[in-house]
Amino acid sequence: MKKYNKITPEGTRDLLFEECLVRRHVEKTLTDVFSARGFNEVVTPGLEFYDVFDPEFSGIGQEVMYKMSDKRGRLVVMRPDSTLPIARLVATRLQNLPKPIRLFYTQPIYRNNTALTGRSDETVQTGIEMLGAQGMRVDLEVIVTAVEALNRCVPNFRFELGHAGFFRALAEQLPISEDQREDIRQAIESKNYAALNTILDGLAPSRQVTAMRSLPRLFGGEEVFDRAASFCLDEKSANTLTYLHDLYRALIQFGLGDKIIVDLGLVQRNDYYTNIVFSAYVEECGDAVLLGGRYDELLKRFDTPMPAIGFAINVDAISKILLGSGKAEKVLPADVLVHGETGFEIQALQYASELVQKGLKCENSIFEERSKALEYAKICGIKRVDCIGNTMESIAIAQDGENYEAT
Amino acid sequence: MKPLRIALTKGRLEKDTVALFEKIGFDCTALKNKGRKLILPVGGHQFEVVLAKAADVITYVEHGVCDLGIVGKDTILEMGNSFYEVLDLGFGKCKFALAGPKGTDFFGGYSAKTIASKYPNVARNFFESKGMDVRIIKIEGSVELAPLLGLSDAIVDIVETGSTLKENGLEVIETICDVSARLIVNAASLKLRKAEIEDLAEKMDRAKEGKL
Repeated sequence: MKKYNKITPEGTRDLLFEECLVRRHVEKTLTDVFSARGFNEVVTPGLEFYDVFDPEFSGIGQEVMYKMSDKRGRLVVMRPDSTLPIARLVATRLQNLPKPIRLFYTQPIYRNNTALTGRSDETVQTGIEMLGAQGMRVDLEVIVTAVEALNRCVPNFRFELGHAGFFRALAEQLPISEDQREDIRQAIESKNYAALNTILDGLAPSRQVTAMRSLPRLFGGEEVFDRAASFCLDEKSANTLTYLHDLYRALIQFGLGDKIIVDLGLVQRNDYYTNIVFSAYVEECGDAVLLGGRYDELLKRFDTPMPAIGFAINVDAISKILLGSGKAEKVLPADVLVHGETGFEIQALQYASELVQKGLKCENSIFEERSKALEYAKICGIKRVDCIGNTMESIAIAQDGENYEAT
Repeated sequence: MKPLRIALTKGRLEKDTVALFEKIGFDCTALKNKGRKLILPVGGHQFEVVLAKAADVITYVEHGVCDLGIVGKDTILEMGNSFYEVLDLGFGKCKFALAGPKGTDFFGGYSAKTIASKYPNVARNFFESKGMDVRIIKIEGSVELAPLLGLSDAIVDIVETGSTLKENGLEVIETICDVSARLIVNAASLKLRKAEIEDLAEKMDRAKEGKL
């Protein structure tokens, strides 16, 4: 039988040295921003019941979830998303806390992606969720937190703002079936003008049809708001547009300037977003590095209705960008190798502890003979060997020459 | 600013695209005298064209290593899409069809049918939308052989003129959808380089309509 004991499953990988350093650095940089703003960390289980992610409201297809059964045969999945478990957690355990509830998390999500596409099935995300509050102040706080977090890691990003409500409002006014609605949504999502036109050509011409037709093109700078104004046929859409415009102006004032674009064709990728949605892109990455939005209807699914907003940042994507840019921290050899002569093993370890307390990176020599320790130091690029015997002798290791120099 | 990188499907779509680019007024000399080079400048150094197989065009665009791609709708339907499909270029036209031996009643009877196809996902989606259970066998070339040899009841394939079908005693049972070349764009690229990409798409759209 063929054994798979020397490889990892497709979509997963080992992280080594620099990759770990950069990931920890990114995680810390981002979460420092979150905790400094009063967000508190939570961790949810890696395994959850399938029902938490019911595709009907999660927008996560059952085919992308890694599934297994628990001890009683119930269907469990490897967490494919962090917002839904946090909604569950808040609805069932934190519902009585004073609002708003500010939470952050750093944990992997698992998705069973199509084979041989090079996509990761395990992705570390960090993000925040702010629950039990809504309005301009809340939305601004969350977006500004997102911007500040990205600024610390990948300052050259583009921030995109949209609203899931336009599409919903327009779709409600069209005489279409549920299936047609989904076809239209997909065409707008993929900016497939040809497909959208084909579907809409089959409907009787109306102002709503014209509006729907132009939805995927309604993206860009402030001019989008003027172009969209004529398409807001009901009061609700008009109010939505005004709200989005106010938000946009506030963010311009905050200094986002040319970094921000508006896309009214951002029909929610996840079905739980019902209000503003946003994402961030950077040049080095073909996918969004940040995705977020308001999900005011989601908590109802867990029987504790409350408004909520949040975002997730793809830590792996940002780590990869930093590694590629050469700005990432390098793994350095130890400052000192401490070698205990025979009979001085414990003294050597004590001495190493003292050096560590002084802030040095110290390795302990496991060799019986000093010559082996010196040889090891040279191979590993350790520049100093302290030998502990009756006296302490510090030896500098020449990195380019061949001779060991005693000092 | 680095040039926009366009992945272009080798072969027939390549020729049609070159014609379209020349209509716009882009210099395609390097692309026409390419030799063995795989990355070629077009329109001065405004763009870089990468020549690739159809399926790879999609892969390159999805991963964002190419900003844009020109590829047939057939490949898009088979490979799925997480990119923007902004323009129907109008060339490379053909259609997907279900075809079988002439004169047989494919939808009759109650036994599950066997379908041979180079496009198993297109075939699966088509029959799923009909709520029909079928067995699908992937064939790499000359799919028309499968029903002739008795391997399958019918085929799902690209049909241009229908003459290959006819010569082998097959006929179209049902047209699945029309196919033509599309301009696709990586999602991040469209957000980051909106003006340049929209400008190019608009030029291509106008050249296609003969308005240049």
